Amino acid sequence: MSERHMKLGAFLMAGGHHIAAWRHPDAHADAGSDIAHFIELARIAEAAKFDMIFIEDAAAIRERNADLASQAARSTAFEPLSLLAAIAVNTTHLGIVATASTTYNEPYGLARAFATLDSLSGGRAGWNLVTSASELEAKNFAASGLRPHSERYERAEEFADAALKLWDGVEDGAYLPADGAAFADRTRLHPLHHHGKHFAVDGILDSQRSPQGRPIMVQAGASDVGKELAARTADVVFAASQTIGEAQAYYADVKARLAKYGRAKTDLKVMPGISPIVGATDEEAKAKHRALQELIPDPVGVALLASYLSIQDLSSYPLDGPLPEMPPTNLIQSRQQLIVDLGKREGLSIRELARHFAGARGHWQVVGTPVQIADAMEERFAGGAADGFNVMAPLFPSGLQDFTTLVVPELRRRGLFRDDYEGRTLRQNLGVGAPASR
Amino acid sequence: MYLGYSLTPFGHHPRAWEHARNVEKLGFDALLAQVTAAESAGFDFVLLADRLGLRPAETPSSVATPFEPTLLASALASKTPRIGFVAAAAMAQHEPYNLARRFASLDLIGKGRLGWLAIPSGDPARDAEYFDVVTGLWDSYEPDAFLYDKAEGRFFDPEKMHVLNHKGVHFSVRGPLNVNPSPQGRPVVAQVFDGAGAPIAGDVLFLGARSVEDLTAMTEDAVQAVAACGKKRADVRILANLVPVIGETAEAADAASAALAFVEADRAEQPLSGIRIVSTADTIAGRMTELAASLGLDGFTILPPTLDMARLFVADVAPKLARRGSVGEGETLRGRLSLPHLTHPAKEA
Ligand SMILES: Cc1cc2nc3c(=O)[nH]c(=O)nc-3n(C[C@H](O)[C@H](O)[C@H](O)COP(=O)(O)O)c2cc1C
Repeated sequence: MSERHMKLGAFLMAGGHHIAAWRHPDAHADAGSDIAHFIELARIAEAAKFDMIFIEDAAAIRERNADLASQAARSTAFEPLSLLAAIAVNTTHLGIVATASTTYNEPYGLARAFATLDSLSGGRAGWNLVTSASELEAKNFAASGLRPHSERYERAEEFADAALKLWDGVEDGAYLPADGAAFADRTRLHPLHHHGKHFAVDGILDSQRSPQGRPIMVQAGASDVGKELAARTADVVFAASQTIGEAQAYYADVKARLAKYGRAKTDLKVMPGISPIVGATDEEAKAKHRALQELIPDPVGVALLASYLSIQDLSSYPLDGPLPEMPPTNLIQSRQQLIVDLGKREGLSIRELARHFAGARGHWQVVGTPVQIADAMEERFAGGAADGFNVMAPLFPSGLQDFTTLVVPELRRRGLFRDDYEGRTLRQNLGVGAPASR
Repeated sequence: MYLGYSLTPFGHHPRAWEHARNVEKLGFDALLAQVTAAESAGFDFVLLADRLGLRPAETPSSVATPFEPTLLASALASKTPRIGFVAAAAMAQHEPYNLARRFASLDLIGKGRLGWLAIPSGDPARDAEYFDVVTGLWDSYEPDAFLYDKAEGRFFDPEKMHVLNHKGVHFSVRGPLNVNPSPQGRPVVAQVFDGAGAPIAGDVLFLGARSVEDLTAMTEDAVQAVAACGKKRADVRILANLVPVIGETAEAADAASAALAFVEADRAEQPLSGIRIVSTADTIAGRMTELAASLGLDGFTILPPTLDMARLFVADVAPKLARRGSVGEGETLRGRLSLPHLTHPAKEA
């Protein structure tokens, strides 16, 4: 048994994950619509032997208010599957994972799209299955609004099953069989005949079976049904945990659910997000962080803070004053409590709190030297909180380069990360079980 | 004369795969090699017709690529600097928001070289509404909306963003699109002309008539349909599908044609059809020029029956056609097809 290595993903986003990254002097402000920028980022991740890159998705603008939307680079982006199709043929070993919704797609079309990505990349594709919780997305598809959580997950369960069966419907060697009488060998094709509550799917996919069998399944649900779906179907889960305690609890929770489905704990990799701000010295890291924080427009930060607090509006309160008392009728959510507690404990103003949370958009942020960042990662990796990390660089490309040139060598020195890829497929590199070719 | 190249792994003849039994022909690299050859020969675009939106029930088709066409277009566009791509997507299979977003994104990746072959749903009223939604979403931002003003923190000018708020019989779509505007105003829209009174929303019409007689009638119908929907003839490109069977001599071409006989059962497998011209390269080039002039066609989409015929067309026929001079990098598909420059509705005063 070889030593256990961290899995690393690079969560890519236009100018950077920091909400104000695009305003930084180093950022190309139009990075979000520049394909060359994304191919460059993918190649940086591949040169550092990252397992994968990851692309998020929303089928809508993220902000209803036009004035606020117009101050955020995240308002527009490439559609993830078309972006990854271009990256697939410009990389050779890197996994490519795109988010796609089971609520606003249908199984045949999406399974077909991922089969294409998997073929184009030679077995390196993955699908982050989401059920899409935003009202703005719902409004682009139906007048009736957002469907309830339970209904979205019920649809997701049926969707995932249909997709898995479609991918397994084509065996290796189904095209141009050696005996040569017909173009395809029908004994190696297994049309799906699915007639369920949400979908009817009849037929086969028109792609060859991928070198990794089928795409890697990724999930990032936090609800009970979300974690259950992940335990049953996912190879990787992403999570947003701030503290090591939260991360350990989440890790233990999803791993404990695997046995029920006859799966081993190593069959599912837990990869929480980390937002690293790397400096050669502690001072330099803090200065980089400060430079970014100062670029956050107050209305954008305050609106984001309000959304994390699940309240309508904070803009009528003085920016340099404390948070108002939260309405007692409001559901106390863990994130709301975390913000209120931090504000009281450190005596932070609304502006300071807004900057604190807006910067990393609620993800785990570590500001420090390569050694400090590697320490923090190692603590979670060794401490039952993570199998790897989804790295969310604050600024692209420089923030990713800081991580690959400074932190990755430190992780290697500690024997925590690979020197070279184990294989050519994402499944081989992640070390998760290959589905049996039927 | 405008020229398109319809991409298949082995050629359009249903038994073409028998002449090139090699799984590598189904792979991306082999498809890219075909596209690169077409690009070098000055073709204006590659057509990724798929099975015109039809999904395989039991067995895959040797005349469609084993890739979803819009994603294949993205991958190919990232590897070629000049040629355009027209990819099929069915209106019955994609939500309009998803489709508008996919093509907007493709058009950024291809730097304005993308077109959508719109496959109808069978319900003309629904399709007409679908076109309105997609076009409206593509117009979500005016061309100069994006300011990237770092100092002021203004990414785009909110006055130049347009929320669609479409509420129709078939669709309800708020918008705006979450993709930057197209470098060519909007992706090019193409349709297979079926003469059945479907809405003509397209910039390009493909005619699939199998004989010169039928093509003559179909061209007249297409010209009338364009006028009937209030479009100027000059604003639409009408292209005939053409299956070239090329030989060193007329006799050799006839022999090749006999070897590529078509029986009725073969036709069922064919997503695209076209007129078949059997002759030497010189004669085929001459016939194309004559047909274009006599029928008033703007050009042709080539459906090579086999990979060998594709090579012969690229090497021997394409150079003999009267074509626009060399095309530069950075030209959009709309520009290559000399389609009119689009003005954003908000700028039409
Ligand atoms: C790292 C990470 C990335 C995510 N990316 C997306 C995304 O791109 N699109 C999306 O709709 N949801 C995204 N989510 C949200 C979840 O996948 C999930 O849909 C959401 O938490 C609601 O599901 P739940 O009710 O089970 O928690 C992401 C979550 C995490 C932790």
